[in-house]
Amino acid sequence: MINGNLKATYAADEKIADNRYKVSFIWGLAALAALLPIFANDYIILVACQVGIMVIAVVGLNVLTGYTGLMSLGHAAFVAIGAYGVTLLHHAATALSISDGLQPFLTIPGAMALAAVIGLIVGLPSLRVKGVYLAVATLSANFIIIFLIELDAFAPWTGGKTGLTTVDPSIFGWVLDTQREVFVLIAVMAFATVLLVQNLFRTRVGRAFIAIRERDYSAEILGISLFHYKLTSFAISAACCGLAGALMAYFYARVLPEQFELLLSLQLVAALIVGGMGRTMGPVFGVLVIVLSPELLKVVLSAIAGDSIEAAQFRAPLQEIIFGLLIIGFIMFEPLGMTQISDRVFRALNRWPFARG
Amino acid sequence: MGQFLQFAINGLMSGAIYALIALGIVAIYKATRVVNFAHGYVIMIGAYLYYTFAVLLPAAPWFPDLLFTPAWLVEAKASAQMFSPEAAWLAWLEKLPRIVFGLICAIIGSALLARLIERFLMRPLLGQSNFAMIMITVGLISVLSGAKSMIWTGDAASVPHLAPNPALRFEVFGSKVFIFGANLVSMGLALLIFAAIVIWLRRSSSGVAMRAASEDQSTAYSMGISVPRVFANAWVLAAATGAIAGAILAARDGVSPALGLFGFSVLAIVLMGGLDSFVGVFISAMAVGILEALAQWQLGGDWVEITPYVAVLIVILIRPHGLLGQKEIERI
Amino acid sequence: MLKVEDIQLSFGGVRALQGVSFEASPGEITGIIGPNGAGKTSLFNVISGFYKPDTGRVRVEGQDVSALKPDARAALGIARTFQNIALFRGMTVLDNIKLGCHTRLNANVWSALRYFGSAQKEELELRRDLEERVIDFLEIDHVRKAPITALPYGLQKRVELGRALAMKPKLLLLDEPVAGMNREETADMARFILDVQEQFGTTILLVEHDMHMVMDICSQVVVLNFGQQIAQGTPAEIAQSQAVIDAYLGQAA
Repeated sequence: MINGNLKATYAADEKIADNRYKVSFIWGLAALAALLPIFANDYIILVACQVGIMVIAVVGLNVLTGYTGLMSLGHAAFVAIGAYGVTLLHHAATALSISDGLQPFLTIPGAMALAAVIGLIVGLPSLRVKGVYLAVATLSANFIIIFLIELDAFAPWTGGKTGLTTVDPSIFGWVLDTQREVFVLIAVMAFATVLLVQNLFRTRVGRAFIAIRERDYSAEILGISLFHYKLTSFAISAACCGLAGALMAYFYARVLPEQFELLLSLQLVAALIVGGMGRTMGPVFGVLVIVLSPELLKVVLSAIAGDSIEAAQFRAPLQEIIFGLLIIGFIMFEPLGMTQISDRVFRALNRWPFARG
Repeated sequence: MGQFLQFAINGLMSGAIYALIALGIVAIYKATRVVNFAHGYVIMIGAYLYYTFAVLLPAAPWFPDLLFTPAWLVEAKASAQMFSPEAAWLAWLEKLPRIVFGLICAIIGSALLARLIERFLMRPLLGQSNFAMIMITVGLISVLSGAKSMIWTGDAASVPHLAPNPALRFEVFGSKVFIFGANLVSMGLALLIFAAIVIWLRRSSSGVAMRAASEDQSTAYSMGISVPRVFANAWVLAAATGAIAGAILAARDGVSPALGLFGFSVLAIVLMGGLDSFVGVFISAMAVGILEALAQWQLGGDWVEITPYVAVLIVILIRPHGLLGQKEIERI
Repeated sequence: MLKVEDIQLSFGGVRALQGVSFEASPGEITGIIGPNGAGKTSLFNVISGFYKPDTGRVRVEGQDVSALKPDARAALGIARTFQNIALFRGMTVLDNIKLGCHTRLNANVWSALRYFGSAQKEELELRRDLEERVIDFLEIDHVRKAPITALPYGLQKRVELGRALAMKPKLLLLDEPVAGMNREETADMARFILDVQEQFGTTILLVEHDMHMVMDICSQVVVLNFGQQIAQGTPAEIAQSQAVIDAYLGQAA
């Protein structure tokens, strides 16, 4: 096999799934996602749903932090807006007598749009400040938004500290009231999000984001309006998190403000760091690690200590410590994340007969 | 008017404690250019250490009681009126050995923790991007929080005040004002430590070394300043002042996991004042203390927790580098 | 084509530019020389829009651009390169050059998300145009998929020139395009700059310290010293001006 660039058209050169390994990988994942709802047990579906939801949110954060270089420690707020938004929009739609089967087609985009608008507002500081200041500004926005949701004054709408009961979506009459059915929706959305967002980076929009990350005055010279593109980046990432929040609302029976606090924001950032910023598969790898490590811990602990009470008491703090160590460990030893590791593996494998042209 | 004054004084007292905590964050930033997002959790560990050495250990059967109980004190306590200033003084005196022991051990313990963090987490990252350093402190948040839950399981508990705590009543401008003595002393202590450290940083050679290292690490190194030692000193200073602040806070609010979240409000305060300006941070700490008190007075207790965050957002939009921070000029 | 009228610029107490004025005709190569700190890069920053001068104007093709921000000036056809290479390190050569065409493309978020359709057509046309007009022209086709960080310095400078050319500029500002290059690379770069002038008719402003190159390819030279314009004229006139010799060129030993 000859290992060289044999493309005959520019179109072929611009493709992203340009060798058969990548294509089969994508189809393989799709097949896995299709088989899971049929064959997997409830526990696996549960974990898979969590992975799917978080992947969508982290893909959004990846656009903002990984590709545009704007740090945000407050993205859980947008997930919250998506979750609360979709529930409230469902109530409103029912009040307007819109048929159940059509509601998700209005409420999901509606929740995403709401999150995007708030994203534009939260993104305003990014036009003035960078780095730590932006991180603290987004952190503050997270605290403020959750505070407003919990506020008694808004409790008639938001349910205050006790939250809201969520709605089961119905798509053209197919009511998704089991986790298995919601998983199908989540899987489809996750695939769509990853593929669509990646398209951004084949066009000038994505390139503009990367330019802003590297050197923003250079980007300005090239005609890239920082105002337009920084805010667009915030809006896209907020919309993705809003979608994740909407799916969360469908998945869990109840939404509570405490689900969207700082810890969730930190989990999103951790997943991004562990997976690799600014790469398509980064969010996927990162979320797998962040969601699966507590489960792995559960397995290990019950193998060592059985079902004792002490083990149960230790589990939550130990989980926290491991989470922190994951972040610290990756930053110290593999700052570019797991995609860097997979790059190395694939480079080593780039020999006959596995050569990729 | 009286109420306003009451709240304003409470605000000033809170502000002083904020300033003391903020001191640690600014010291670390000035020396190492790292913003320690985990500082709230460092002071939380300091508070828990104080709790351990001032309350838990003395309560253990195998440990000395550490109470000061000469005969005259026991008699005086028995005969003193409940809630009188004398009772407060005597109660404090009785517990004094515990307080001192607890405080000293808390400071030493925090200092050790700080040295460990600096040596094993921060120093390997010298020269790496800002983002990496910040994210390490973010990871540290979870590590410290988890460690605390493992060692001290999570319920709130109370610790002795650092100073006698009589309820002081007096009249100002014709209205009654009510202050807890311990809070007043804490405020004085916080202000004193703040001033002492700022003066030390300006006058002493270690202070000058710290300022040199913050400007330009490689030049400071070539001038013979041990930059790693400066880093370690900054972290130890931050942890020590944090332990004292943690003890004060724990005595006031009880020792609980919520102390960690406190750190984020102080972060907001530090950014409001300008990351590298002690004066700016002092001003914003006092300002936020008073704003919180006003918020509590007019809007109710809920709004207190959100005040620093709203304040920092407003300040950043007007002055992006904080009230007195230095603008970093990027060379194009 | 370019008219710089009496630019004054100061930063606090430092007077970076004091009354700089000159004109450049279409397709002319103008050299800007002077010792370090004379204000050459500041002048470029004023013309490209990063600094607002205290007084004075910049006119491009008769239009007063003094109030326009950098991205608006890019849309007018003003391109520049930087003294310290300002290429985007996370991207390949091809992506960097494609960024030069940012203002000429039309994709917005929605068409980008969909990609297949108008965005893809636009991207493929762009690719064809850039390959033929810029990449072949500057002979960098062998490295077009390489990440910037993998390239030697000389090639990086050429890529930066390519990115500026991608903008189809009417006015091209080159800030020390041959700094740090050896004779061969300098000759190559000079050839490319002359080719740009001949083939595209671009007006070029050149800040440079390499006097051989300046004297060879520039048709007029402006000399700055401590922010003041001390001479302006053809290379031959400048080489003989006493003020310039005293300030910058020095005497033959």
